[in-house]
Amino acid sequence: MTKGLIFSVSFHLIMILLTALTLPFMIREPIDLPPIVSVELIQISDKTNIPYAPKARKVIEKVKEEEKRVVSEQAPPAAKAKEKPDRIPLPNESKKEKKIIKKKQNPEEIKPEIRQSSEFEKKEIIDTNEIAALIDKAKEIEAKTEREEKKLTQSSVKNSFASGLSLSEEDALRAQIFGCWSIPLGLPFDEDLLVRIKLQLKKDGTILTSEILDHERMNKPGQKFYKILAESALRAVRICQPLKVPPTGYEKWKNIQLNFNPTEMLKG
Amino acid sequence: MQRIIVISLLILYFSTSISNALIKVDITRGNLDPLPIAVSPLHVDPSSTNHKDVKVKQLGEDISKIIENNFRSTGLFNPLKKDAFVQKPDIAHLKPRFEDWRLIKAQALVTGKLLIKDEKLKIEFRLWDLTASKEMVALAFTTTPSNWRRVAHIISDKIYERLTGEEGYFDTRIIYVAESGPKDKRKKQLAIMDQDGANTKYLTLGNELVLTPRFNPANQLVTYLSYFRNLPRVYLLDIETGIQEVVGNFPGMTFAPRFSPDGKKIIMSFAKDGNSDIYTMDLENRIVERITDHSAIDTSPSYSPDGKYICFNSDRSGLQQIYVMKSDGTNVKRITFGDGLYGTPVWSPRGDLIAFTKVRKGKFYIGVMRTDGTGERLLTENFYQEAPSWSPNGRVLVFYRETKSGSQGKGFTAKLWSIDITGYNERKIKTETDASDPSWSSTLSK
Amino acid sequence: MKFNTKVKNILLVVFATLALSACATQKKAGIDGDVYTGKDTVEYLASGVPDRIFFATNKSSLTTAARETLRKQATYLRKNPKLNVTIEGHADERGTREYNLALGERRANAAKDYMMTYGVSGKRISVISYGKEKPVNTASTPLAWSQNRRSVTVKVK
Repeated sequence: MTKGLIFSVSFHLIMILLTALTLPFMIREPIDLPPIVSVELIQISDKTNIPYAPKARKVIEKVKEEEKRVVSEQAPPAAKAKEKPDRIPLPNESKKEKKIIKKKQNPEEIKPEIRQSSEFEKKEIIDTNEIAALIDKAKEIEAKTEREEKKLTQSSVKNSFASGLSLSEEDALRAQIFGCWSIPLGLPFDEDLLVRIKLQLKKDGTILTSEILDHERMNKPGQKFYKILAESALRAVRICQPLKVPPTGYEKWKNIQLNFNPTEMLKG
Repeated sequence: MQRIIVISLLILYFSTSISNALIKVDITRGNLDPLPIAVSPLHVDPSSTNHKDVKVKQLGEDISKIIENNFRSTGLFNPLKKDAFVQKPDIAHLKPRFEDWRLIKAQALVTGKLLIKDEKLKIEFRLWDLTASKEMVALAFTTTPSNWRRVAHIISDKIYERLTGEEGYFDTRIIYVAESGPKDKRKKQLAIMDQDGANTKYLTLGNELVLTPRFNPANQLVTYLSYFRNLPRVYLLDIETGIQEVVGNFPGMTFAPRFSPDGKKIIMSFAKDGNSDIYTMDLENRIVERITDHSAIDTSPSYSPDGKYICFNSDRSGLQQIYVMKSDGTNVKRITFGDGLYGTPVWSPRGDLIAFTKVRKGKFYIGVMRTDGTGERLLTENFYQEAPSWSPNGRVLVFYRETKSGSQGKGFTAKLWSIDITGYNERKIKTETDASDPSWSSTLSK
Repeated sequence: MKFNTKVKNILLVVFATLALSACATQKKAGIDGDVYTGKDTVEYLASGVPDRIFFATNKSSLTTAARETLRKQATYLRKNPKLNVTIEGHADERGTREYNLALGERRANAAKDYMMTYGVSGKRISVISYGKEKPVNTASTPLAWSQNRRSVTVKVK
């Protein structure tokens, strides 16, 4: 008898363990654990500024004064093509061509005092700022984040045989959430995205816990859009609470799953 | 033993029945209103000092305005009016009272602070999810104070990325042709500006006709068509040094230039004896390669982002249509068969779409289609518009639109416009002058 | 009475047909098909030698009138052997910019080739395309567009 009891107890334990493992929501932490966000320090260089632009204005003024003599603000094309008109540049002529083009473009007909806008001296171009240190990822601030209490969804056995909400009850709930859900407009409209959220509700319709069922998808690379959508769905239920739940039958709806699918809306 | 089996079966039964019994509700509709977001002015550290013409007291407000403008321009966000804000910027940045912000219906909040000290500008911002009461991103930047506009754009990029899952495109520039004067004697200059229309700089003086400027992938070089000395040729301009040179110095007109995705080549059309074909020139060794050889007009070439394919425009069928070929010129396939003419194909940076101009029954359309020509979607219809250019994330197109002119040529304007590839959110981009031939840079901070 | 109605009917049918055929052949002022045939924008290289020819939309083929003009130009050039010319090709504003550049080039070359067959050396003729950049008529009307689809022979000084 004792042997049987031990047997039974140990078997039960194994079974419970197995069930716990196979029921993911029972052991998983709620998804919206705020990660510790650190502040990245990023250096922005002046590299891509256009340093000669102010000078260009000066040149414009200068040129206006002496307009007659100015041929162009541009460098003239390197030496006119001397080739016969029929010739098309061929790969083996490239060296020759290169030489022609590399000839510096200082036209005699432009008097020296007239600057081409293209001829700004290096001195003025080089910026004193250090360049390239753009992604200096020094951690500046460690943001503190509070951990949300971990709550397990304890499904009670009593809950079991519920068949669901009546149609009108379901419609009321659906209509309410429609109003709260701002579909992220930037999502690709040609991808199938479905976010399933499981909620545990209090009797007044406020949310005890919320959990994204495929949440391992959220942090996968290439699943950015899924994450954005999931976050928008979570926002929707939070904005909506307390949810419009029926006054009775708490056990029926205390656990509820919402499937968010924006595909139709995005296709417009 | 039997009991054991019964009990374990019971456990199994309940464990499955729980999930079976779960009520499931499908939510397939929501509102498509832009996301309400509050952008609090950045808190200015009182120990900050003014730097040259940067007024530090205003800076917190100014930066938040730029961020708001960027958000509004996407059509995806609705920046809320600041009069309703209750919390002061400094406190909000430390720890926002989420209830207060939720009260004004904001779903996200941007806070930040800045400090100018020792010729350095330090800016920090945080993005808060107000419904979940948690921080979503926090970043800090240091730079020279004169760079404050760029920081505002970079912050916008980071927030956009966090909230949409797509790369931002605010820290970018647009190069275009600035136009002025009467229609038959248009003065055209190359001009460059920030994506939001600020910081316009003119790169040429307008003595000769310039057309179709395009950035290289590093945003340092621009290739364009210039009629210098009445010889229409493809030029290369280094926007940092201002040095210009001819690259398409062929015995005839070269035009429609564009960089290859690695920036090493320029692809362009060369017109000779009435026939235009597509050529590439290697910028390093100046080797020229002929890509197409056909008696029809082949022009407006554009590489796929992997450099393996080229889409272009040809009238070899008799009318202007879009074709795709391998980058060596083989395997030419026509991809447009709809009625009307198709021009200016541009491959999306994501690689999945080609944007184009379509002309049908006297109307001009900007559209997108898949790279095999299927799934055509026309985004906007007008009297005249063409030359789409992609935002670096492949989400938005910029193009130019000309208005009908009256009998004396009056009332003619050319302006830049942008539109989301969903066809929503069409917007005019502010430019100092009339403008055409826009080319969107890639993100500067990369 | 019966006879009268019959006559009436016949007359009606005849008129209707006439009216229809008139519609079909009626020319808009100075435009044939969509090629400009008027003289409004035309200048002259010399007395009786028009400087420009006009094209149909998206076409670079020469019309009979264009050929006649080009023959006159060729004769004029042969008489003045020291004169060189540039042929400018243009397009209307109803096409994409880059394609129009190519089209203008093709139009100018069509004119050049024709003149060469009439004994003018190709060395004396250079071509340039302006695409839609230099309209001669700046209005946005079919007439203006037809005047802008042109190639113009310009003396080189």
